[in-house]
Amino acid sequence: MNARRHLPHYAMVLPFALLFAAFFLYPIISGFYYSFHDWNAATEARFIGLANYEAVLKSRDFARAMTNLGIYIAITVPLGIAVALALALLVDSFTGFWANFFRSAFFLPVVLPAFLAATIWRWMYAPNFGLVNMVLGWFGMPSVNFLNDTGTMLYALIAVDVWVSAGFNMVILLAGLKNIPQDLYEAARLDGASRLQQVRYVTIPMLAPILFFVVTYGFISALQVFDVPWLLTGSSFTAYGGRRNALLFPVMDMMGRAFGAVRFGEATAYGFILTFVIILFTAVMFGLRAWRTPK
Amino acid sequence: MAELEIKSVSKSFGSVGVLSDINLKIASGEFVVFVGPSGCGKSTLLRTITGLETETAGDIFIDGKRVNDVDPAKRGTAMVFQSYALYPHMTVAENMGFGLKMAGEPKAIIRDKVGQAAAILRLEKLLERRPGQLSGGQKQRVAIGRAIVRNPKVFLFDEPLSNLDAELRVQMRAELIDLHRRLNATMIYVTHDQVEAMTLADRIVVLNGGIVQQFGRPLDLYDDPDNRFVAGFIGSPKMNFLDAVVLESGPDHVTLGKIGGSDRSLRLPFRSFDPSIKQVVLGIRPEHARLGESGADSVPVIINFAEELGDVTYLHGKTPGGSPMIIRSDKGRFGGQTDCHVAFDPGGIRLFDNDGRRLRADRN
Amino acid sequence: MSSVTVNQAIVAELYTWRFLKWVLAICVAVVAVFPIWWMFNVVFADPGTPVSINPRLYPTSLSSGLSKIQIILMETPYLRAYFVTIGYALLTILGMLLIGSMAAFEFALFDFPGKRLLFGLVMLSLMVPTVVTIIPTYLLVAELGWLNTMQGLVVPGLASAFGLFLLVQFMRTLPREMIEAARLDGASHFKIYWYIALPLSRNAMVTLAILTFMKTWGNFAWPLIVAPKPEIYTVGQVVGLFNAPFSHQTVDVVMTANLLAVLPPLLFFLIFQRKIVEGIAMSGSKG
Repeated sequence: MNARRHLPHYAMVLPFALLFAAFFLYPIISGFYYSFHDWNAATEARFIGLANYEAVLKSRDFARAMTNLGIYIAITVPLGIAVALALALLVDSFTGFWANFFRSAFFLPVVLPAFLAATIWRWMYAPNFGLVNMVLGWFGMPSVNFLNDTGTMLYALIAVDVWVSAGFNMVILLAGLKNIPQDLYEAARLDGASRLQQVRYVTIPMLAPILFFVVTYGFISALQVFDVPWLLTGSSFTAYGGRRNALLFPVMDMMGRAFGAVRFGEATAYGFILTFVIILFTAVMFGLRAWRTPK
Repeated sequence: MAELEIKSVSKSFGSVGVLSDINLKIASGEFVVFVGPSGCGKSTLLRTITGLETETAGDIFIDGKRVNDVDPAKRGTAMVFQSYALYPHMTVAENMGFGLKMAGEPKAIIRDKVGQAAAILRLEKLLERRPGQLSGGQKQRVAIGRAIVRNPKVFLFDEPLSNLDAELRVQMRAELIDLHRRLNATMIYVTHDQVEAMTLADRIVVLNGGIVQQFGRPLDLYDDPDNRFVAGFIGSPKMNFLDAVVLESGPDHVTLGKIGGSDRSLRLPFRSFDPSIKQVVLGIRPEHARLGESGADSVPVIINFAEELGDVTYLHGKTPGGSPMIIRSDKGRFGGQTDCHVAFDPGGIRLFDNDGRRLRADRN
Repeated sequence: MSSVTVNQAIVAELYTWRFLKWVLAICVAVVAVFPIWWMFNVVFADPGTPVSINPRLYPTSLSSGLSKIQIILMETPYLRAYFVTIGYALLTILGMLLIGSMAAFEFALFDFPGKRLLFGLVMLSLMVPTVVTIIPTYLLVAELGWLNTMQGLVVPGLASAFGLFLLVQFMRTLPREMIEAARLDGASHFKIYWYIALPLSRNAMVTLAILTFMKTWGNFAWPLIVAPKPEIYTVGQVVGLFNAPFSHQTVDVVMTANLLAVLPPLLFFLIFQRKIVEGIAMSGSKG
């Protein structure tokens, strides 16, 4: 009787539950299994214990990718969010048509598929005739081969990244700004706070929960960066990472090991290592929030 | 038109009991109001009757047929919700006809029935509008119309007027009474507002703590309450309750002392008072208390403020024992805090024991 | 200092601030928009204009742009990639909306044993990065024989935890009494979903559909690995071919390919701007 009463509920959930189990739960479990096996999808899988994890952790590419990732994250996340916050404040200071206009303009890069953003910027960065070099030329600076000079490649990527993601985060922060009651600013002004002080003492504390989301989400997606560096370097599964691996990132490395070198066990182990790092990051972020929030 | 019987119905959510042993027999065509404070179980009882909640124990009969296992849609009940619960994406006509559509009725019949119900409620001109374009009163009428279209045996109303403003509420009450007369249907109505209960009901069920406190005609509840809860709940302003001790009792009288903490005593006619009872609560409605001269049978009261409403004035005060006391006074203006004396109309006094049970004199 | 000079100082500061604000806003807008505008101008330029002539501030030839578009659509596999991608996006949207809304209806409005566990599991999966599932999922798709097929592209993405989350959040705001009213009106469980919950969730569904379109259109990694055959290339891969170092295409043709890839999401954005912005803001503030 009881089970029959609940039957319609299960029937409605079933399609989702089945697909979720098949294309999320099963891959995680099977991936975990593969990560302890030497396997190339053609021959029988052979149990090798932690050897895959060891191979990844000890490889030079992994070290290189992690170093790149570390520098990339350390710059792109804070910079991206600072830019996004500045843009949000800027848009928020306009009203009516112009607020909408600038919001749409700033948001436009988000609309582009990431693969296209990367493609367009390859042209922007092109030596000699690329737009960026042309602007540099106006100021009498020599042309730089941004995407082939190991000294500039990472920063070229960061610029594209900020260009793409700032609008996205701006929209989220704008929604948060709109929720701050106007009388708080008025109270702060009566207390003699300057414009900057209002931002520091009213806006940022009131935005804290949303900033937290934006920062955490920014970290998680930055850790998985793939499309843009892959395309900026014109990578394929056999050759990726750009000149001297200056734009090699973990997910690229992982994909290469899977589909270039056909070492699926090692690649899945790579995935779990990355997941571990991401979860660690997230845990630290949540820990920080709990610590910062007084009970 | 149908008779409704509720036999020892209990309902609990997990370990929390909400209704206990409810027994009611509602006659065909009767307008019954369930009233009680919030959380008393009145809405749960209504939802159990219609089948949205399942009773933990007991049976429900509609027209003598047990409906415990009958699907809510097929019980022959129709419900009007507090929030109206109109479908915002459908027109008024579609809202009213949705039940028939679900039952697979042909379109022509749906249109006819919706048209008839709309005529009863003067909704003909609104049929193509959506709920968002209606006023509160109109939404209310559509919700009632949706119930009428289903031609139910029993109409159920769950606080349907509580979202309307005071003026509209009075108007809708009159319309409901009129509707009840025209349809001659069995209607059950839930409210927390005792005034609404008194105006609408043929009979009232007072609920508290999931227990039926009393079931009877409005004035019977007012004049002859079964217990202190009903006495206090029905009537506005509330009945006054004063502690008293029994000084002595005889076959035809009882003498009470220390009334409201004063040194006054009062001899009341009372046939066969139970001599084991030593303490009572004396209940007296404001209209049965009069300002009077100091005397042996009057209680001193300090008046603190007055509600001067025009037709009547209610004086709010305290007895020497600290019990609040409201007195109705038809004349005179209040001139600041005063001491006065209050005499009780003996016919208006109701006695309760310490557990709140009514003490009734033997009739013969 | 008299109060007049104080006021003047404040007014002067106000004007400076206003001026700076406009300059800044316009500069950022130029940086954000110009690359796309530039691409447009390269496509609609007189034939033979060397690519090194910069900056191109405005389009010069409509006909030459149109003829380039025609060349690309007629003489390259671009048109097929377009249809593949549109099919991929549409099927994903339809499937996700149907499956997700059915599940969201239950999770948001009803109680049944196992609901908390299942929903908790799905929400937990929001935290799990795609990197850990992408390769095993590929292997599963390969095992099913779905490589280079439409179902291989679409089906693994249908049970979207994000979509479910968005819809559940929305459906939770549907009034309980309305669902009960429908039940009393004799609507079966599925009919309550179909006639009441679904139409009332239209806003959330449209938002989710648009976000899903943007995401699917821009999805690069998944088609790259699961559909590596030219017959089922998506726009992303074809654009990659055009832009490859040895593609033998002239710059203006490459830019035309790029422009065509931007067009659908750009049009979507221009039409549904408010929904997109609301959808993103909503997913942020609820997170």
